[in-house]
Amino acid sequence: MDGGLLEPSLYSIKAIAILDNDGNRLLAKYYDETFPTSKEQKAFEKNLFNKTHRANAEIIMFEGLTCVYKSNVDLFFYVIGSSQENELILASVLNAFYDSISQILRKNVEKRALLENLDAVFLAADELCDGGIIMEADSNSVVQKVAIRNDDIPLGEQTMAQVLQSAKEQIKWSLLK
Amino acid sequence: MLSLKRDKKEEEEGGGNPFNNLEKSTVLQEARTFNETPINPKKCGHILTKVLYIINQGESIGQTEATEAFFAMTKLFQSKDPILRRLVYLGIKEMSKIAQDVIIVTSSLMKDMTGKEDQFRGPAIRALCSVTDHSMLQSIERYMKQAIVDKVPGVSSAALVSALHLGKGSHEVIKRWVNEAQEAVNSDNVMVQFHALGLLYHIRKSDKLAVNKLVSKFSKHTLKSPYAYCLLIRIAAKMIEEENAGSDSPMFDFIESCLRHKSEMVIYEAAHAIVQLKNTTAKDLAPAVSVLQLFCSSPKPTLRFAAVRTLNKVAIKHPAAVTACNLDLENLITDVNRSIATLAITTLLKTGNESSVDRLMKQISTFMSEI
Repeated sequence: MDGGLLEPSLYSIKAIAILDNDGNRLLAKYYDETFPTSKEQKAFEKNLFNKTHRANAEIIMFEGLTCVYKSNVDLFFYVIGSSQENELILASVLNAFYDSISQILRKNVEKRALLENLDAVFLAADELCDGGIIMEADSNSVVQKVAIRNDDIPLGEQTMAQVLQSAKEQIKWSLLK
Repeated sequence: MLSLKRDKKEEEEGGGNPFNNLEKSTVLQEARTFNETPINPKKCGHILTKVLYIINQGESIGQTEATEAFFAMTKLFQSKDPILRRLVYLGIKEMSKIAQDVIIVTSSLMKDMTGKEDQFRGPAIRALCSVTDHSMLQSIERYMKQAIVDKVPGVSSAALVSALHLGKGSHEVIKRWVNEAQEAVNSDNVMVQFHALGLLYHIRKSDKLAVNKLVSKFSKHTLKSPYAYCLLIRIAAKMIEEENAGSDSPMFDFIESCLRHKSEMVIYEAAHAIVQLKNTTAKDLAPAVSVLQLFCSSPKPTLRFAAVRTLNKVAIKHPAAVTACNLDLENLITDVNRSIATLAITTLLKTGNESSVDRLMKQISTFMSEI
């Protein structure tokens, strides 16, 4: 648990992941050799999910790593760093990750919308972190860099149908929660 | 309500995940579509997303298959579609370690990196550096130096971070970029400043005098980025440890001054660093402990967790310094986050006296079953 001081370095993220509500991987990026094989990674994800999916506690020490997480409807977002890493830095990355995906999915943070926009989600993850280095911790900048098509329609210019559709979705999910 | 039920059912029948049952061989077969002209950006983008999904799921792709897909992918450079182009960069990065002859994309990427489209330039630099080996580094050196001092933050950050990745293998070349990195530290953009400081430190870290200068220069409130501050605190703490200095070091003064920074991230980093230092007296710890005490009552679980975990470390060496926080720690015993509760208890067990330990044991037994 304690290992003295952390070597000053830009490399602060070990992994980021999005899992669905069965603990299956929708997106996962590992940035170092903590879990070298795909099998070990998936086992880690399953264990982490089992540990975190009921209690929305936001932060946990798990297998000697610090994991911060957030969930919505049927998605779980994780950012994982070393146990000596500044927890608030990891949390700032998680927030940027979640908020940028939320903007890309127009607040429909759920599995189906995520899979429909998987290309943009991959791009956002790439803009967030490069090889373990935080690239951007501001969700607006991430979304701007992803620059996905017709993303910035202001409310006034959306068609009535779009507004109704998103309202319907929101109500549906708040009921299902 | 009826339609709601139907929606839910439809979703279950459809499997919900259109990517669920993808076959690796089928997807790679589909990637041959990339060779067709004219390019259909939407269709190709979708296929490329499937390829990326398969790789992301951890499927291993053989060298021959990867090389074939990689070469098909290079054909997509003819399209000007922004999304497709960006997905190609991702594909290049993912496959650069598996496929053969990946340097074939060098000139296309160099064109994008120096081109007019700002949104392509940063990602193109990062993709380029993933296919560049050390023998090729010299040929892109000039462009990298220019990119580091570029006025577009995304471009500058991409170049700085890529330089750091490359620096793992070829320190000699990266060393020559020190002037550009120095210029980039003065950037107004918080991320550029952070990345530039990281590169600068990486280049200089074996030269103690230079690191010393670096810290004393930037510790005089010239940094804007909280991330850069956190890094500087770590560098300063490392210097103190190496010199075996105590709290009379100017480095320590800098760290202590960061306890009054406006960003919680920086305050916590400073408190954490002070607690971790070897040659500290209980008096040196006091200001750090009092900010951690404040954090214990924060509404943010992450902050409470960070604070109590650090106090737990203090309690190992200086239990007396933590006693002032006992009341705050007792409030955390019933925290909804079990990790915070457990840490609070173990900390209290170290600092408490007999009567309080008795009381604690009673409280613990009420939720022992849940742990």
